[in-house]
Parts: sequence; C-alpha cells; structure tokens
Amino acid sequence: MSKYLGKRLLTLLGAASALSVTVGAGLSGAQAAELKVMFQGDPYEITIITDVAKRFEAANPGTTVQLINTPHDAYNEKIGAAVSAGSLPDILQLDAPFLANYVWSGFLQPVGDLLDKALVDDMTASNVAQGTYPIDKALYAIGLTDSTVALYGSRKQLEELKIRIPTSVDDAWTRDEFEAALKTLSTAPGVKWPLDLFRSYGTKTEWITYAYEPILVSMGCDVIDRTSWKATGTLDGKACVDATTEMQNWVKQGWVVPQSAGQNQFYAEGRPAALAWGGHWFYAEANAKMGDDVVVMPLPKFGEKGVSPNGTWIWSVAKTASDPAAAGKFLSFMLQDPAYREAYKAHAGFPGLKSFAAASPLYADKGAMAVAFEQAGKSAVARPPHPAYPTITLAFQNAMTNIFDGADPQAELSKAAKKIDDDILDNDGYQPFGQPE
Amino acid sequence: MSTVVSASTPSPVAKVSAKPDIGAIVKFVAVLIIALVVISPLFLLFVASLKPDRFQILADMGSFRAFWVSEPSLQNFADIATFSGALPFGRYLLNSLIILFCTVLGGVFLNSMAAFVLAWGRLPGRAVVLTGLIGLYIVPQESIVLPLLSLVNKAGLGDSFAAQILPWMASPLYIFLIYQFFIQVPRDIYDAATVDGASPFRIYWSVFLPLSLPVLATVAILLGIETWNQYLWPLMVTQTDYARPISVGIASFFGHDSVYWNSAMAASVMMMVPVLIFYLAFQKWFVSSFISSAVKG
Repeated sequence: MSKYLGKRLLTLLGAASALSVTVGAGLSGAQAAELKVMFQGDPYEITIITDVAKRFEAANPGTTVQLINTPHDAYNEKIGAAVSAGSLPDILQLDAPFLANYVWSGFLQPVGDLLDKALVDDMTASNVAQGTYPIDKALYAIGLTDSTVALYGSRKQLEELKIRIPTSVDDAWTRDEFEAALKTLSTAPGVKWPLDLFRSYGTKTEWITYAYEPILVSMGCDVIDRTSWKATGTLDGKACVDATTEMQNWVKQGWVVPQSAGQNQFYAEGRPAALAWGGHWFYAEANAKMGDDVVVMPLPKFGEKGVSPNGTWIWSVAKTASDPAAAGKFLSFMLQDPAYREAYKAHAGFPGLKSFAAASPLYADKGAMAVAFEQAGKSAVARPPHPAYPTITLAFQNAMTNIFDGADPQAELSKAAKKIDDDILDNDGYQPFGQPE
Repeated sequence: MSTVVSASTPSPVAKVSAKPDIGAIVKFVAVLIIALVVISPLFLLFVASLKPDRFQILADMGSFRAFWVSEPSLQNFADIATFSGALPFGRYLLNSLIILFCTVLGGVFLNSMAAFVLAWGRLPGRAVVLTGLIGLYIVPQESIVLPLLSLVNKAGLGDSFAAQILPWMASPLYIFLIYQFFIQVPRDIYDAATVDGASPFRIYWSVFLPLSLPVLATVAILLGIETWNQYLWPLMVTQTDYARPISVGIASFFGHDSVYWNSAMAASVMMMVPVLIFYLAFQKWFVSSFISSAVKG
C-alpha cells in the first residue's frame, strides 16, 4: 500500500511539474526580437529610448527592437550573467571606463564603420577618448553625452567673503587659492563644512575614482602608469602619497562633509556646506533650490594644470551581434533623433557631440555650465583604459575610503598598488597591454 | 471598624498609585522607543511619497521636516501607477501578485505532497533522500543563480512568469517543516482511512491537509515573504516589463546621475501596502509561523 502510495504521488508530482512547465512556457515572453538592446538609465531615458525604438521600427519595417532595460545598480552583474549564459544582446550600453575590459574580453566590435560618418565626425575629443580602445585605436562606442565634475559655490557667499570666482579653466584656482578658500569658508558664519566631496556616494558607485583621480593627476601622479601599466611605483609613489595625505588633511581639519551626512548639504536649509565638488548633474539639484546664486567653477589646478574627469554610459555593438549593420543603423538613428536629443537637453545632459553642445544653451558660451563644458576640451582625462580597470577602481576606492577614515596613505596606496599589479600578473599582463609597441 | 481597616490597610488601588511600577514604566518606554525606531522609517517613506518634488525630499533629509509634508499630493502615485509606458508600476505590482499567488499555491501543494510521500510512502532510500534534502537547504541561492539561468534559458523560459515561479516552489526547508508535522500524525488515522477505502491522494487531501492547516499557513507565509522580496533572480531572468516584478522595477529610479526619490518612495509604498494589509489581516498566523519555523527549522 505504502509503495503504491509513493509511486502514485510521485507520478502526480511529476505531472504537476510538467503541467507547470507547459503553462509556464505558454506564459513566456515574446521571443521574436531581431535586435536586442540592453541599457540602463534614468526614467526619462527609458521613456525616450522606448519611443525612439518604436520610431525606428516604423521607419524600418521588418526590423524589431527588443529593449532590455536593466536597473543601473545591477547592470554589470547582468552583463556578467548574460556572458555566462551566452546571451549577450546585439547592442549594449556600458560605462566608459569598463570599455577596455569588454573589448579585451572579446565582447565588442568596432563601430566606426557601422555608424554614420557625420555622427563620428561630430564627436567631441573627450567622447572619442571614452569610446576608443588604446591597443588598436579603434572606436568601439559612442554616446550623445559625456560627463564632468565641477566646483559649485554660492556667488553671494563667495563675493561677501571676497573670494575670487574663476570664470575659465585657465583661470582656475591654484592649490594655494583653493586651500585658502577652504580656510576662509571654514570660519564663515553658518558654514559647517567648507567642502562637499560627496563621500556619501560610497564605494558602490564609480564616484571615488571618477571624481578624485583627477586630483591625483593634477598633482602629478596617477592610479597606474599608463605606459608600463604598473601601479607600484606610481600609485604608491611620493606624488600620490603627498596628494592623498593632503586630501586626508582636508578631512582631518573638518573641512569635508562626512559620508553619513548625505548628498544635500550644499543646498539644504542653512547651507551647511559652502562648496560642492559635484558632477554636472548636480547643477539641476542645486539650481532648483538656490536659483541663480549657484556659481559653477572649474576644478582647481593643483599642479601645472587642472584635470577633470570624463566618461559616461555609451553605446556599443556586441561581437556576436546578429546584424551589426542594423545595430549601427539603430544607433545612428537614435543619436540623431531630435526628440532623443531634446530629452537629454531638458535634463542638462553634458554634450558629447559638437552639434548637441551648440544646441544646449546651458553649456554654450555665457551658459551657466559653460565652464564645465570648457573642461571637456581642455582638462578632461579618461580613467585608465585598461582591462584591469574593475580591479583598479575597486582597489583605489577602498584605499581612498580608508585614507579618509584616517589610515596611513603610504600603506593603503601600497596595498592597492599590489592588488592591481597582482591582478595584471594573474592575467599574464592582459597582453598586448604593457608590451612594447 | 471599617474606617480603622481602611486607614491601616490601604486598598490595592491606593497602593499602586503610591508606588508606581518602575519595571512596567521602563518596559513601556523601551517598547515605545523600539516602536518608534521601527515605525519612523516607514512613516518617513509614506510622507516622502506624498512630496512630488524630489529635490525637496533631498533638501528635507537630515531634519525633522523629512517627517512632515505641507502640501500632500498623490501625484507620484498617479505618475507611476500605469500599465503601459516606460515604467508601468501598475503592471509590475500585478506581476508580483501573480508570481506570489502561483508560487505560494504551487509551493504549498508540491511541498506538502513531497512531505507526505517522505513521511508515509515506502520509498527506497527514504532516509538518504531526507538527509540529502536537509543538506540542500544550506546551498545559498546566489551560488545556483548562473547555472539556473542557463537552464531556464535553454528551456526557453527566459523572461517569463514560469521562470520566476517554478524554481522556487519546492523548498527543502518547507518540505522538511511539513514532513515533521506529518510524521507526528498518529498511524491509526492513516490506517483508519485506508480501511475505509481511501486512496493515498484522498488520504493526503481529505485527512492530512485539513489537519495541517497551521504548518501550511506557516509555509505559505514564509514562502510568500521570500517570493515578494525576491530581487536577484527576477533581475537576472527578466528582460522586459512582461513579467518584471515591482522589486526590480523600483531599482529603475536609482539612475546613474540621479535618484528619483519621489517615485522610488511612492513605488516602495505600493510594494509595502499589500504586505501590510496581509500582515494586519493575518497577524496571529504571522507570529505563530515565525515561532514554529524558528523552533522547527
């Protein structure tokens, strides 16, 4: 009886599972997409990309676009899963500093010949730099936009304290001027912290490498030697140790908004933070609360020249794309779509195309963010275009966090440099990187 | 006489008012603080969801104004509670409910059947199966995500409801929980049903299931919470809005440049409300389910 019971119920269980699979297959999503596009973005970007895809389908009968919208915070994990499952989409958006890793891993193909030539010619130098693989110098990705970091202040406050307001990259504060300004602001009425470095973004984002590496470069060092591709001797060299010690000193003096204070101290009630070392997107937030009092200044020249970051989410074509020509056609269509450009313009998108810059009053001459756009042409330095970048950024972020928290800069940078070099060694130097040209 | 007694022996009421119970006051204050700590983030979430200006939400953070809304508006909810468009949260919520309903219903059914077979069936190597089952429980979900994704894709189930329901219906923990309950049922009950001519399925369905309502409620509640809070798996397996649940949808408001706190807060309230309603309606079951799973699991 019990044996009978076992067999019958197991059969029933099997049947139930089979039924579930059958029903499940019936519930399965549409499979007929010919052009799969994986992307992430703010809600307005999702809306406009969805609209553009519909317009592209209408203009190209027979071509179907399947959009794979993925939350920003989990994008790289999703790419990893797609690679493991052998299901990379035809077109994928990627964060610019990860491009070298993706190209080296064999995921992407050059897009220069797939895109409209006019579009490629329209790219700013910074945009070309963020999409170019340094080994074959080919263009692997393109974007309508780019990014930068600027220094934000209150015009009224700076004028009252008689602190000079720089108006161009060439006119940027020197290291001494910057520190003098911080000192003056630290004693100004109502100021709790003279500078918000947005430490609250934490290590989950790219912020630390993106926004702080330019300080190191401006002070004469870098996170890695860009010729030999070795971190030891560069990241833990004297120049970088001095630079990070100075940054640590800002924190020790109580000049920097702590990580726990959030991201609103520049414009919150009473304006506890006097200056903000913020991304171009921060202007909209600050302007919404402070109006025209917000003044945008170039990043300081800590050494011979000022250095600013660049790079944002850009579009590439997978090596496994079923129809690369159609993928290029879609990207050309999207990047020239008037409504697509208008949406980014309305959200203060930082121009990566010259024609887009000309049509963006915010970044044009006399525009509130003109000096930020000037940086893209004069002081932008891309993060290290190397396949080890995921390790580089993680090691540097951890080191900087510990240094800000009071750890010894030399020890932390040496540890980070070793971690980076070990990863490169573990991958046999990521050849042909590091080989004589 | 009575006057003398009342003067020398105070009534219990008079005794309480004269000597307050310090222990009870401390306990009350402690409970109040804990309640405030638990409720304040939920209250802040609710208040922020009524502020349409995301910059205002940010500006208010860090002050008591975060807990106050001067001009409450349902605009955030109106903006996102749609069934089409870029981020259709009405659809996401419906998807979550469909996934929840199917997983819990199927899960209770499958787990209890498996437990019944293990408890009362004469299977070869039953002890080994049972041991293996318990061993499976220690395998973390994260470690099987990639092979499972590959399997699901090969089965043609990518971007589907089935991909989110089938892998999580059966669970070693829940089979074991129900198994423990089933083996405590007296053999006489099983034998009596057999003598009456009931088939094994009839015994399972008409005798054991009605007897097992408490443990089935425990499984339904725990499986329901687990399913509702799933993030990693639906993130990996869904490609489009077709079967995307609300937990993944909310993450879309955390963009690369900005966080859309107003929409994220409204979406979080939308995700929280069904759980709150369910919890308030079945509070007693929730408490007993957590106690029983803690003891037996």
